[in-house]
Amino acid sequence: MVQINFAQKQINAKIVYYGPGMSGKTTNLEVVHQRAPSNNRGELTSISTDGDRTLFFDYMPLDLGTIAGMKTCFQMYTVPGQVYYNSTRKLVLQGVDGVIFVADSSAKSMEQNLESLRNLEENLNEYGKSLATLPHVIQYNKRDLPDALPVQELEAQLNLNGAQTFEACAATGEGVFPTLKGLAAAVLKNIQNECGGGTGRTAFHSVAARPGVTSSGPQPRPASMPPAPQRAPQTASTRPQPTGAQASSSAPSGAPLKQTGFQPRTAALAAEPSSAPASAPAGQLMQNAAAAAPQPKPAQRPRPAAARPQAAPAPAPAKPAKAAKAPAPAAQPKRRAAAQPSSAAAPKLNTSGPSTAKTAAFVIVAAVIGAVVAKFALDFI
Amino acid sequence: MRIHDQQLRADRMVFYEKDVDRLNGELDAFLELSKARCALLIDRDGHQVTRRGEAVGTSADSISALIAGSFAATKEMARLLGEAEFTVMFHQGKRDSIQLQLVGERTLLAVLFDERTNLGLVRFYATEACQRLSDVFDSMSQEDRTAGLSSQFSADATAALDQLF
Ligand SMILES: Nc1nc2c(ncn2[C@@H]2O[C@H](COP(=O)(O)OP(=O)(O)OP(=O)(O)O)[C@@H](O)[C@H]2O)c(=O)[nH]1
Ligand SMILES: [Mg+2]
Repeated sequence: MVQINFAQKQINAKIVYYGPGMSGKTTNLEVVHQRAPSNNRGELTSISTDGDRTLFFDYMPLDLGTIAGMKTCFQMYTVPGQVYYNSTRKLVLQGVDGVIFVADSSAKSMEQNLESLRNLEENLNEYGKSLATLPHVIQYNKRDLPDALPVQELEAQLNLNGAQTFEACAATGEGVFPTLKGLAAAVLKNIQNECGGGTGRTAFHSVAARPGVTSSGPQPRPASMPPAPQRAPQTASTRPQPTGAQASSSAPSGAPLKQTGFQPRTAALAAEPSSAPASAPAGQLMQNAAAAAPQPKPAQRPRPAAARPQAAPAPAPAKPAKAAKAPAPAAQPKRRAAAQPSSAAAPKLNTSGPSTAKTAAFVIVAAVIGAVVAKFALDFI
Repeated sequence: MRIHDQQLRADRMVFYEKDVDRLNGELDAFLELSKARCALLIDRDGHQVTRRGEAVGTSADSISALIAGSFAATKEMARLLGEAEFTVMFHQGKRDSIQLQLVGERTLLAVLFDERTNLGLVRFYATEACQRLSDVFDSMSQEDRTAGLSSQFSADATAALDQLF
């Protein structure tokens, strides 16, 4: 639900990345975090398993700038895609204002895409919402995979509501910002439609005189800086360094995330040698992405598991996700590559029975999250 | 476009300055009495409504999101266990502790406190404060919550997006 706070002159909307497990939701958010100007983005917080599968959600606030005198912020979440985690997934969806459905283009993922889409509609219905009316876009991710289905086929099967669609290779960052921009436009339009002044508003007078409502242009944005390194080595001390395909598809790494610049389209392109000119409009860019993106073999994916930071790249000393997590860097690459469908909760939470009843797992998850919240809050007082 | 529609009204939380002033007044009084360090009001969806007392670093947004998530998980847990709702949650640290409490239907009060006070005191005054805060929310929900964004919003939004993306 859009929160409009005239006291803080702030509008908050909740954006959720939805989709099947391993489709690239967390990767999308990480790219946004790496490449958004530091003034605009907050910390990225992840509640995930040792294997970097999302357990509850990833979260990051993004400041879109001042719109009509109101600081407009997106609270951005990802859900856990694994079927097993539907109870937590549903919770994240509460009060959602816009959905980015991240589909996996791979032919063998079609069934999961469809299942996830069904599940999304089902969960939305429980909150009295539906894809028919909720602002949403679809991202066809992993266009770089050799077995990626043609877009027309994905369209026919997945885009039943005529949503705007985008092709992407989130692993290199390509398409991530056009997707977000597409959704942002839809969400803001929706806010304007529902809350806007202009066409004969009735109660407008009660706030029109407030300083926060007078319109003013967007704030000047810092000039763009060089593209962000893929997977900046925030966790370098505990994590293996990216090598191989990672290094070759990345801008030079080494800059801490806090200093990374923002060049959504161009950054993606700079990191991707064979891409289209920076001035290409989003749609065209996507075509190019499909046509010209390099085709890394699964074995040399642009982002090896080992290079993945624990999705908490800001330099704060104690990360909630980490606090609750027994670091197991050595085990991580394998776990991630293996992509176990629902292997997640057991190791991290130290339960003895990985196949425990849903309820029990849920209780434990909630307890862990409670501990995380407490730890996090107390650390920062 | 008509905000008087029930569904739309339920879909949005609008806070005017006078609302937040009243909420802040209640929180300030509560902090004074309870000697707690910080009080946060958080929307059920994870948006922060207001914060009083000491700063919680730069991460107030993340904390709000985590608290809302944590509370939602607890609530679901209660449902599965056949409990109507756990209305209070408490996390104890070595020095600092945090108490979460439901205010009305859709808002959470998070109180951070340390050894200068104690749980009993905090809980006593928090319960009282929640009642008063809940009254404020009730009276807000009676009013017309039409948001009244500037008609400039649409054009400005496009410009802001072009600039950011
Ligand atoms: N080839 C390829 N791999 C990608 C792409 N995007 C993401 N990946 C990889 O897919 C794997 C899963 O990515 P995540 O972002 O963690 O997936 P997720 O959707 O968050 O998964 P859950 O948290 O389990 O729901 C990672 O190994 C990524 O590197 C892409 O565009 N192409
Ligand atoms: Mg994830």
